[in-house]
Amino acid sequence: MLGVSGHFCRLTGWCVAGLLSAGLLGLFLLSLALVGAQALTPSHHLSLSDVARLHSFLSQSFTDLESAYYSIVGLTKLGANVADQRIPVSNETRDILLAAVSEDSTVAQIHRAVGALSSLGLPLASQEVVAALTARINKEDNVMAITLALHTAARLSAQADFVGILEEIEDLTARLDDLGGVYLQFEEGLEATALFVTAAYALSDHVDMEPPLKEDQVIQLVNSIFSKKSWDSLAEAFSVASAAAAFSSNRFHVPVIVSAQGPATVSHSQPTLQLLVTDVLSQPLASASVLVESAYAVASKSVILSQAPFTLNDGVFELNFMSSQPASGYYQFTVAVTGDSRLIANHVELKVKVSTEVAITNMDLSVVDKDQSIGTKTTRVDYPSKAKSSFTADSHQNFAMSFQLVDVNTGVELTPHQTFVRLHNQKTGQEVVFVAEPDSKNLYKFELDTAERKSEFDSISGTYSLYLIVGDATLENPILWNVADVVLKFLDEEAPATVQPKTLYVPKPEIQHLFRKPEKKPPTVVSNTFTALVLSPFLLLLILWFKLGANISNFSFSPSSILFHIGHAAMLGLMYVYWTHLNMFQTLKYLAIIGSLTFLAGNRMLAQKAVKRIAAEQSSRLAKYRSLR
Amino acid sequence: MSNSVLSVISRFLEEYTTTTPNKLKVVDAYLLYIMLTGALQFLYCLLVGTFPFNSFLSGFISCVGSFILAVCLRIQINPQNKGDFLSISPERAFADFLFAHTVLHLVVMNFIG
Repeated sequence: MLGVSGHFCRLTGWCVAGLLSAGLLGLFLLSLALVGAQALTPSHHLSLSDVARLHSFLSQSFTDLESAYYSIVGLTKLGANVADQRIPVSNETRDILLAAVSEDSTVAQIHRAVGALSSLGLPLASQEVVAALTARINKEDNVMAITLALHTAARLSAQADFVGILEEIEDLTARLDDLGGVYLQFEEGLEATALFVTAAYALSDHVDMEPPLKEDQVIQLVNSIFSKKSWDSLAEAFSVASAAAAFSSNRFHVPVIVSAQGPATVSHSQPTLQLLVTDVLSQPLASASVLVESAYAVASKSVILSQAPFTLNDGVFELNFMSSQPASGYYQFTVAVTGDSRLIANHVELKVKVSTEVAITNMDLSVVDKDQSIGTKTTRVDYPSKAKSSFTADSHQNFAMSFQLVDVNTGVELTPHQTFVRLHNQKTGQEVVFVAEPDSKNLYKFELDTAERKSEFDSISGTYSLYLIVGDATLENPILWNVADVVLKFLDEEAPATVQPKTLYVPKPEIQHLFRKPEKKPPTVVSNTFTALVLSPFLLLLILWFKLGANISNFSFSPSSILFHIGHAAMLGLMYVYWTHLNMFQTLKYLAIIGSLTFLAGNRMLAQKAVKRIAAEQSSRLAKYRSLR
Repeated sequence: MSNSVLSVISRFLEEYTTTTPNKLKVVDAYLLYIMLTGALQFLYCLLVGTFPFNSFLSGFISCVGSFILAVCLRIQINPQNKGDFLSISPERAFADFLFAHTVLHLVVMNFIG
């Protein structure tokens, strides 16, 4: 019994879309818009090696019926011959299958039943199936279910009414996600997209109606389905094989793949441009005719070819491009493939390179005196030999070189991208490279002013080998030619004593940190002298006070005065301690304590003194008053 | 000319020694001492240099501040100025002198370094 489990619904977790952010998408779309209305061509297809890989993947030995189905049917789609399987059917089986076709079964079950019935050649009522399918589509509105419905419909008789089902193709197309204008796929993944393509074309072929897919959409689907070259599961491989078969052999759209065989380069030795024109399975389209609509040079935009046909030679389309005698460079080809109305993406743009060989002619070397008093003596050297004698140039002379570069085959003058003159000091290994520039007549000139360029040579005199280097992308024979030896003489006093290799990556000398030098202090003798000098007025004070008769005989030993004096002494002591140990906050704290004590005691003491003074004044006034009377 | 200056000075000194009370002479002696100390500090600074500048400043300002406070004390305890300082007794003047000195010395000590 051909039972197929509903693994079509199994989704492979394929997230490519996650990588393309909105910004990239916008930029991509903008660049595509700017490029202009260039027709979309497939960027991915299954090359012959890919097809072989798909074949071997599908040829895995199968352990269950599902794998057997994928393997056998997949290989059949790729065109392989698979041994026939014969299965006997009983009446009961047939009844079960017929009963499965109803609104109550899922689309997958209907698909299996119809598939089994039609494969076994049993009759079935197509209209009933269509009705059941339409009802189920309304209930199961997902991509896989609708794809299965399309597959099922493709197995029914052509007379059934398919209008409703055909509209589903258009609905599903609208659900595809456009990624950057290059890819078109369902968010459910590669398998869903590939199965949809297979189903859409199967049904369209069955009812002979073109599917509502635009050419650009078909190409985008091709890109999506064939961009993955190794497959996670048999189901995925099967879906890709089915889609490939659908694209290469349906009745409406056959995408064309045009690619150059080998590099797209022509030259005298290889004058023909060879193109492979195939379908997505890399099978050649024998009935096609290939034509160059136009070919123009990229540099000059002049048209070289127009409406030139390719000739089919052993499966490959050939065109002898060199017969048009193109100059070397790059050419833009527009190729059209015709012959079958089903072909799409059949206008392709190709970039073709024409390469050639270069020859150096008229190589003249000379040493010219700067004041032009002595006539120049030019030596002609022919490639690839070297000049017999070496040239000497000192600071009063210039070394000059002139030559021409021509195309070997056509004699046209060339201006390659790289024309360098390299001077290599044989003793020190130093090398200096200059560029030779062409003048308006394409004659290359190089002049070495010894005095001007001495910094590049580090003023090291000696024998330098002169090499000419010529290269370009369109040259088949790049040249490295030791033309001559040049002895350069620089003024010796400017030359460094020894050649210093540039020491860039050597540890640098250590920087010693210089701490701030303490300030210069005067000698101790001076400081001591002045200290004594500054303290001497105190002695003077004591002497004066003694002479004036200042004394402490009036000192009253009352507790407040004693306390006051102790407190005052403590405050002075606190000043000294502040200078040596404390900070302002601590000092203020202690000062507050001592100060308040001293203040109270002093207040008391002074009040007592004031009382005494007033009493003394009063008594003296009284005495004066009495004496006056 | 010098004669008259000399005679002025000798007359001034004579009057000073006779009319000034002893208390004021004591304060005057103290004032002289402070002035000399300050002058000598300044002389050192001129001759040797200002290093360390903060110490010099603190010492000099201490002398200047003390001189000013002592002058204030002298004015306030002079019995001839009693009329100007009716609410301030000599004891009160001395107490103010001591308090102001405390603040001055706090600042000076902070700055001495």
